[in-house]
Amino acid sequence: MSLRRASGLRAWVVQRVSAVYLLLFTPLLVGKFLFYPPPDHTAWVQWVSNRWVAIGLLLFFVALLMHAWVGVRDILIDYVHPLGARVLLLTLLAFGLLGCGFWALDIVLHAGAH
Amino acid sequence: MKFRIYRYDPDKDTAPYMQPFVLNHIRPGMMLRDALLEIKKIDETLSFRHSCGEGVCGSDGMNINGRNGLACITPLKGLREPVEVRPFPGMPVIRDLVVDMSGFYRQYRAVKPYLTRRDPEPEVEVLQSPEERERLDGLYECILCGCCSTACPSYWWNPDKYLGPAALLQAWRFLADSRDQAGEARLDALDGPYRLFRCHTIMSCVEVCPKALNPTRAIGQIKRLMLDKSV
Repeated sequence: MSLRRASGLRAWVVQRVSAVYLLLFTPLLVGKFLFYPPPDHTAWVQWVSNRWVAIGLLLFFVALLMHAWVGVRDILIDYVHPLGARVLLLTLLAFGLLGCGFWALDIVLHAGAH
Repeated sequence: MKFRIYRYDPDKDTAPYMQPFVLNHIRPGMMLRDALLEIKKIDETLSFRHSCGEGVCGSDGMNINGRNGLACITPLKGLREPVEVRPFPGMPVIRDLVVDMSGFYRQYRAVKPYLTRRDPEPEVEVLQSPEERERLDGLYECILCGCCSTACPSYWWNPDKYLGPAALLQAWRFLADSRDQAGEARLDALDGPYRLFRCHTIMSCVEVCPKALNPTRAIGQIKRLMLDKSV
Protein backbone atom coordinates (compact mmCIF):
# COMPACT_ATOMS: atom_id res chain seq x y z
CA MET A 1 0.00 0.00 0.00
CA SER A 2 1.41 3.35 -0.92
CA LEU A 3 1.40 5.89 1.91
CA ARG A 4 -0.42 8.45 -0.18
CA ARG A 5 -3.51 6.33 -0.62
CA ALA A 6 -5.87 4.73 1.84
CA SER A 7 -6.22 1.04 1.16
CA GLY A 8 -8.54 -0.38 -1.44
CA LEU A 9 -7.80 -4.07 -1.74
CA ARG A 10 -6.84 -4.49 1.93
CA ALA A 11 -10.06 -2.90 3.21
CA TRP A 12 -12.08 -5.03 0.82
CA VAL A 13 -10.37 -8.25 1.97
CA VAL A 14 -10.89 -7.30 5.64
CA GLN A 15 -14.57 -6.72 4.91
CA ARG A 16 -14.98 -10.09 3.16
CA VAL A 17 -13.01 -12.16 5.67
CA SER A 18 -14.74 -10.57 8.69
CA ALA A 19 -18.08 -11.13 6.97
CA VAL A 20 -17.39 -14.87 6.73
CA TYR A 21 -16.63 -15.08 10.46
CA LEU A 22 -19.71 -13.02 11.34
CA LEU A 23 -21.83 -15.19 9.08
CA LEU A 24 -20.68 -18.35 10.85
CA PHE A 25 -20.52 -17.07 14.44
CA THR A 26 -23.61 -14.83 14.65
CA PRO A 27 -26.16 -17.67 14.14
CA LEU A 28 -24.33 -19.69 16.81
CA LEU A 29 -24.53 -16.76 19.22
CA VAL A 30 -28.18 -16.04 18.45
CA GLY A 31 -29.02 -19.77 18.68
CA LYS A 32 -27.28 -20.05 22.03
CA PHE A 33 -29.23 -17.15 23.55
CA LEU A 34 -32.54 -18.21 21.97
CA PHE A 35 -32.45 -21.90 22.86
CA TYR A 36 -29.97 -22.25 25.75
CA PRO A 37 -29.96 -18.85 27.49
CA PRO A 38 -27.88 -18.77 30.69
CA PRO A 39 -30.45 -18.75 33.54
CA ASP A 40 -28.54 -16.28 35.72
CA HIS A 41 -25.43 -14.14 35.88
CA THR A 42 -23.28 -16.88 37.39
CA ALA A 43 -24.16 -19.20 34.53
CA TRP A 44 -23.35 -16.45 32.04
CA VAL A 45 -19.97 -15.82 33.67
CA GLN A 46 -19.26 -19.53 33.60
CA TRP A 47 -20.14 -19.69 29.92
CA VAL A 48 -17.91 -16.73 29.02
CA SER A 49 -15.08 -18.10 31.19
CA ASN A 50 -14.76 -21.10 28.89
CA ARG A 51 -11.56 -20.46 26.98
CA TRP A 52 -13.03 -21.36 23.59
CA VAL A 53 -16.12 -19.23 24.12
CA ALA A 54 -13.90 -16.31 25.17
CA ILE A 55 -11.67 -16.70 22.09
CA GLY A 56 -14.71 -17.01 19.83
CA LEU A 57 -16.29 -13.90 21.37
CA LEU A 58 -13.11 -11.84 21.15
CA LEU A 59 -12.65 -12.82 17.49
CA PHE A 60 -16.32 -11.96 16.95
CA PHE A 61 -15.81 -8.45 18.33
CA VAL A 62 -12.61 -7.95 16.32
CA ALA A 63 -14.42 -9.05 13.14
CA LEU A 64 -17.50 -6.95 13.96
CA LEU A 65 -15.50 -3.79 14.63
CA MET A 66 -13.26 -4.18 11.57
CA HIS A 67 -16.32 -4.87 9.42
CA ALA A 68 -18.03 -1.79 10.83
CA TRP A 69 -14.90 0.31 10.23
CA VAL A 70 -14.70 -0.62 6.53
CA GLY A 71 -18.46 -0.28 6.01
CA VAL A 72 -18.85 3.11 7.66
CA ARG A 73 -15.60 4.32 6.08
CA ASP A 74 -17.10 3.40 2.69
CA ILE A 75 -20.25 5.40 3.44
CA LEU A 76 -18.18 8.41 4.54
CA ILE A 77 -15.97 8.22 1.42
CA ASP A 78 -19.10 8.05 -0.74
CA TYR A 79 -21.10 10.86 0.80
CA VAL A 80 -18.92 13.14 2.96
CA HIS A 81 -16.66 15.06 0.60
CA PRO A 82 -15.38 18.05 2.64
CA LEU A 83 -12.03 16.93 4.04
CA GLY A 84 -12.44 18.41 7.52
CA ALA A 85 -15.85 16.84 8.11
CA ARG A 86 -14.65 13.48 6.80
CA VAL A 87 -11.54 13.42 8.99
CA LEU A 88 -13.60 14.45 12.02
CA LEU A 89 -16.22 11.73 11.41
CA LEU A 90 -13.57 9.07 10.72
CA THR A 91 -11.79 10.04 13.95
CA LEU A 92 -15.02 9.87 15.97
CA LEU A 93 -15.78 6.51 14.37
CA ALA A 94 -12.31 5.17 15.14
CA PHE A 95 -12.51 6.25 18.79
CA GLY A 96 -16.07 4.93 19.12
CA LEU A 97 -15.16 1.54 17.68
CA LEU A 98 -11.95 1.29 19.72
CA GLY A 99 -13.94 2.19 22.84
CA CYS A 100 -16.46 -0.58 22.10
CA GLY A 101 -13.57 -2.96 21.47
CA PHE A 102 -11.80 -2.28 24.77
CA TRP A 103 -15.10 -2.44 26.61
CA ALA A 104 -15.86 -5.85 25.10
CA LEU A 105 -12.31 -7.00 25.87
CA ASP A 106 -12.69 -5.85 29.48
CA ILE A 107 -16.01 -7.68 29.91
CA VAL A 108 -14.83 -10.96 28.38
CA LEU A 109 -11.47 -11.00 30.18
CA HIS A 110 -12.90 -10.05 33.58
CA ALA A 111 -15.63 -12.64 33.31
CA GLY A 112 -12.82 -15.13 32.83
CA ALA A 113 -10.92 -13.81 35.87
CA HIS A 114 -13.78 -14.45 38.30
CA MET B 1 -49.14 9.17 -27.27
CA LYS B 2 -48.09 11.57 -24.50
CA PHE B 3 -44.49 12.58 -23.77
CA ARG B 4 -42.82 14.79 -21.19
CA ILE B 5 -39.38 15.88 -22.30
CA TYR B 6 -36.64 17.53 -20.24
CA ARG B 7 -35.78 20.91 -21.72
CA TYR B 8 -32.93 23.19 -20.79
CA ASP B 9 -31.21 25.83 -22.86
CA PRO B 10 -28.58 27.51 -20.69
CA ASP B 11 -28.68 30.62 -22.90
CA LYS B 12 -32.41 31.21 -22.35
CA ASP B 13 -33.67 29.17 -19.36
CA THR B 14 -32.94 29.89 -15.73
CA ALA B 15 -33.93 26.34 -14.76
CA PRO B 16 -34.73 23.08 -16.53
CA TYR B 17 -38.40 22.18 -17.09
CA MET B 18 -40.45 19.29 -18.47
CA GLN B 19 -42.27 20.06 -21.74
CA PRO B 20 -45.33 18.00 -22.72
CA PHE B 21 -45.76 16.76 -26.29
CA VAL B 22 -48.46 14.62 -27.93
CA LEU B 23 -47.93 12.45 -31.02
CA ASN B 24 -51.12 11.27 -32.68
CA HIS B 25 -49.74 8.93 -35.29
CA ILE B 26 -47.75 6.11 -33.77
CA ARG B 27 -46.63 3.57 -36.34
CA PRO B 28 -46.27 -0.08 -35.34
CA GLY B 29 -42.74 -0.93 -34.32
CA MET B 30 -41.86 2.72 -33.72
CA MET B 31 -38.91 3.32 -31.41
CA LEU B 32 -38.45 6.23 -29.00
CA ARG B 33 -35.83 7.76 -31.32
CA ASP B 34 -38.42 7.89 -34.12
CA ALA B 35 -40.82 9.64 -31.76
CA LEU B 36 -38.16 12.19 -30.77
CA LEU B 37 -37.52 12.89 -34.47
CA GLU B 38 -41.29 13.44 -34.94
CA ILE B 39 -41.31 15.77 -31.92
CA LYS B 40 -38.35 17.63 -33.41
CA LYS B 41 -40.58 18.34 -36.43
CA ILE B 42 -43.02 20.03 -34.02
CA ASP B 43 -40.30 21.89 -32.08
CA GLU B 44 -37.02 22.02 -33.95
CA THR B 45 -35.17 23.45 -30.94
CA LEU B 46 -35.26 20.02 -29.19
CA SER B 47 -31.69 18.72 -29.00
CA PHE B 48 -30.58 15.12 -28.63
CA ARG B 49 -27.72 13.00 -29.95
CA HIS B 50 -28.41 10.11 -32.29
CA SER B 51 -26.73 8.47 -35.24
CA CYS B 52 -26.97 4.85 -36.34
CA GLY B 53 -30.52 4.22 -35.15
CA GLU B 54 -29.90 0.55 -34.40
CA GLY B 55 -28.12 0.33 -31.04
CA VAL B 56 -24.61 0.20 -32.42
CA CYS B 57 -23.16 3.70 -32.09
CA GLY B 58 -24.30 4.38 -28.54
CA SER B 59 -25.13 8.04 -29.16
CA ASP B 60 -28.73 8.25 -27.98
CA GLY B 61 -28.40 7.07 -24.41
CA MET B 62 -30.91 8.81 -22.16
CA ASN B 63 -33.13 8.29 -19.14
CA ILE B 64 -36.48 6.85 -20.25
CA ASN B 65 -39.20 6.61 -17.59
CA GLY B 66 -36.49 6.56 -14.94
CA ARG B 67 -34.31 3.93 -16.61
CA ASN B 68 -31.22 4.52 -18.74
CA GLY B 69 -31.38 3.11 -22.25
CA LEU B 70 -30.85 3.76 -25.95
CA ALA B 71 -33.79 5.59 -27.54
CA CYS B 72 -33.25 3.86 -30.89
CA ILE B 73 -33.86 0.34 -29.55
CA THR B 74 -36.55 1.23 -27.00
CA PRO B 75 -39.96 0.38 -28.50
CA LEU B 76 -42.72 2.89 -27.73
CA LYS B 77 -45.05 -0.03 -27.19
CA GLY B 78 -45.00 -0.92 -23.53
CA LEU B 79 -43.74 2.45 -22.29
CA ARG B 80 -45.83 3.97 -19.50
CA GLU B 81 -47.50 7.28 -20.47
CA PRO B 82 -46.61 10.07 -20.36
CA VAL B 83 -43.17 8.89 -21.43
CA GLU B 84 -40.69 10.89 -19.33
CA VAL B 85 -37.47 11.48 -21.22
CA ARG B 86 -34.55 13.02 -19.36
CA PRO B 87 -30.80 13.30 -19.92
CA PHE B 88 -28.47 10.83 -18.16
CA PRO B 89 -28.68 11.38 -14.40
CA GLY B 90 -25.69 12.93 -12.64
CA MET B 91 -24.16 14.34 -15.83
CA PRO B 92 -23.68 18.04 -16.67
CA VAL B 93 -26.38 19.04 -19.18
CA ILE B 94 -25.20 20.97 -22.23
CA ARG B 95 -28.68 21.38 -23.64
CA ASP B 96 -31.94 19.38 -23.42
CA LEU B 97 -30.97 15.68 -23.64
CA VAL B 98 -27.35 16.36 -24.58
CA VAL B 99 -24.92 15.80 -21.70
CA ASP B 100 -21.21 16.48 -21.34
CA MET B 101 -19.54 13.06 -21.62
CA SER B 102 -15.95 14.32 -21.30
CA GLY B 103 -15.59 13.07 -17.69
CA PHE B 104 -16.84 9.65 -18.80
CA TYR B 105 -14.29 9.52 -21.63
CA ARG B 106 -11.51 10.68 -19.28
CA GLN B 107 -12.24 7.69 -17.03
CA TYR B 108 -12.23 5.43 -20.10
CA ARG B 109 -8.81 6.76 -21.21
CA ALA B 110 -7.49 6.32 -17.64
CA VAL B 111 -7.63 2.50 -17.95
CA LYS B 112 -5.38 2.62 -21.06
CA PRO B 113 -7.86 0.75 -23.24
CA TYR B 114 -5.35 -0.64 -25.71
CA LEU B 115 -2.95 -3.60 -25.89
CA THR B 116 0.41 -2.97 -24.25
CA ARG B 117 3.32 -5.30 -25.02
CA ARG B 118 6.90 -5.38 -23.78
CA ASP B 119 8.04 -7.96 -26.34
CA PRO B 120 9.08 -6.70 -29.77
CA GLU B 121 6.20 -6.47 -32.21
CA PRO B 122 5.90 -9.80 -34.07
CA GLU B 123 5.97 -10.05 -37.86
CA VAL B 124 2.48 -11.52 -37.87
CA GLU B 125 -0.49 -11.18 -35.56
CA VAL B 126 -0.13 -12.22 -31.92
CA LEU B 127 -2.00 -15.52 -31.97
CA GLN B 128 -4.66 -16.53 -29.46
CA SER B 129 -6.20 -19.92 -28.81
CA PRO B 130 -9.99 -20.10 -29.21
CA GLU B 131 -10.23 -20.34 -25.40
CA GLU B 132 -8.14 -17.19 -24.92
CA ARG B 133 -10.30 -15.38 -27.44
CA GLU B 134 -13.44 -16.58 -25.66
CA ARG B 135 -12.42 -14.76 -22.49
CA LEU B 136 -13.04 -11.46 -24.27
CA ASP B 137 -16.67 -12.30 -25.04
CA GLY B 138 -19.03 -10.09 -23.08
CA LEU B 139 -16.29 -7.45 -22.76
CA TYR B 140 -15.33 -6.21 -26.22
CA GLU B 141 -18.97 -5.60 -27.23
CA CYS B 142 -19.25 -2.43 -25.13
CA ILE B 143 -20.27 0.59 -27.25
CA LEU B 144 -19.45 3.19 -24.54
CA CYS B 145 -22.97 4.61 -24.57
CA GLY B 146 -22.65 5.52 -20.88
CA CYS B 147 -25.95 3.97 -19.73
CA CYS B 148 -24.19 1.91 -17.03
CA SER B 149 -21.87 4.48 -15.48
CA THR B 150 -24.57 7.16 -15.33
CA ALA B 151 -26.96 4.68 -13.65
CA CYS B 152 -24.38 3.92 -10.94
CA PRO B 153 -24.89 5.69 -7.58
CA SER B 154 -21.18 5.31 -6.77
CA TYR B 155 -20.37 7.10 -10.04
CA TRP B 156 -22.87 9.86 -9.19
CA TRP B 157 -21.13 10.60 -5.87
CA ASN B 158 -17.52 10.36 -7.12
CA PRO B 159 -17.49 10.73 -10.92
CA ASP B 160 -14.01 12.27 -10.86
CA LYS B 161 -12.36 9.55 -8.76
CA TYR B 162 -14.36 6.34 -9.32
CA LEU B 163 -13.76 4.98 -12.81
CA GLY B 164 -17.31 3.68 -13.22
CA PRO B 165 -18.61 0.39 -14.65
CA ALA B 166 -17.95 1.19 -18.33
CA ALA B 167 -14.25 2.00 -17.82
CA LEU B 168 -13.80 -0.93 -15.41
CA LEU B 169 -15.36 -3.35 -17.90
CA GLN B 170 -12.67 -2.21 -20.36
CA ALA B 171 -9.98 -2.47 -17.66
CA TRP B 172 -10.92 -6.14 -17.26
CA ARG B 173 -11.16 -6.59 -21.05
CA PHE B 174 -7.41 -5.80 -21.30
CA LEU B 175 -6.46 -7.64 -18.10
CA ALA B 176 -8.19 -10.72 -19.52
CA ASP B 177 -6.48 -10.43 -22.90
CA SER B 178 -3.73 -13.07 -23.32
CA ARG B 179 -1.82 -10.70 -25.64
CA ASP B 180 -1.56 -7.87 -23.10
CA GLN B 181 1.63 -7.66 -21.01
CA ALA B 182 0.87 -4.73 -18.72
CA GLY B 183 -1.29 -6.62 -16.20
CA GLU B 184 0.73 -5.71 -13.10
CA ALA B 185 0.79 -2.01 -13.97
CA ARG B 186 -2.94 -2.10 -14.73
CA LEU B 187 -3.70 -3.65 -11.34
CA ASP B 188 -1.43 -1.20 -9.48
CA ALA B 189 -3.24 1.67 -11.14
CA LEU B 190 -6.61 0.35 -9.91
CA ASP B 191 -5.80 0.01 -6.19
CA GLY B 192 -6.76 2.62 -3.63
CA PRO B 193 -10.21 3.26 -2.21
CA TYR B 194 -11.65 5.05 -5.24
CA ARG B 195 -10.86 3.91 -8.75
CA LEU B 196 -12.08 0.30 -8.43
CA PHE B 197 -13.25 -0.10 -4.85
CA ARG B 198 -16.14 2.38 -4.91
CA CYS B 199 -18.11 -0.42 -6.57
CA HIS B 200 -20.54 -1.76 -3.95
CA THR B 201 -22.12 -4.31 -6.34
CA ILE B 202 -25.33 -2.31 -6.63
CA MET B 203 -25.64 -3.80 -10.14
CA SER B 204 -27.63 -0.97 -11.73
CA CYS B 205 -25.04 -1.19 -14.53
CA VAL B 206 -26.02 -4.77 -15.31
CA GLU B 207 -29.70 -3.92 -15.23
CA VAL B 208 -29.51 -1.10 -17.77
CA CYS B 209 -26.79 -2.24 -20.20
CA PRO B 210 -28.42 -2.22 -23.67
CA LYS B 211 -25.89 -4.80 -24.86
CA ALA B 212 -26.67 -7.13 -21.90
CA LEU B 213 -23.09 -6.97 -20.62
CA ASN B 214 -22.11 -7.50 -16.98
CA PRO B 215 -19.69 -4.86 -15.61
CA THR B 216 -20.27 -6.06 -12.02
CA ARG B 217 -18.89 -9.51 -12.88
CA ALA B 218 -15.89 -7.90 -14.61
CA ILE B 219 -15.22 -5.78 -11.51
CA GLY B 220 -15.43 -8.90 -9.33
CA GLN B 221 -12.91 -10.62 -11.59
CA ILE B 222 -10.51 -7.67 -11.30
CA LYS B 223 -10.78 -7.87 -7.49
CA ARG B 224 -10.14 -11.61 -7.54
CA LEU B 225 -7.11 -11.20 -9.83
CA MET B 226 -5.77 -8.47 -7.54
CA LEU B 227 -6.14 -10.81 -4.59
CA ASP B 228 -4.44 -13.67 -6.48
CA LYS B 229 -1.47 -11.43 -7.27
CA SER B 230 -1.07 -10.10 -3.72
CA VAL B 231 -1.26 -13.18 -1.48
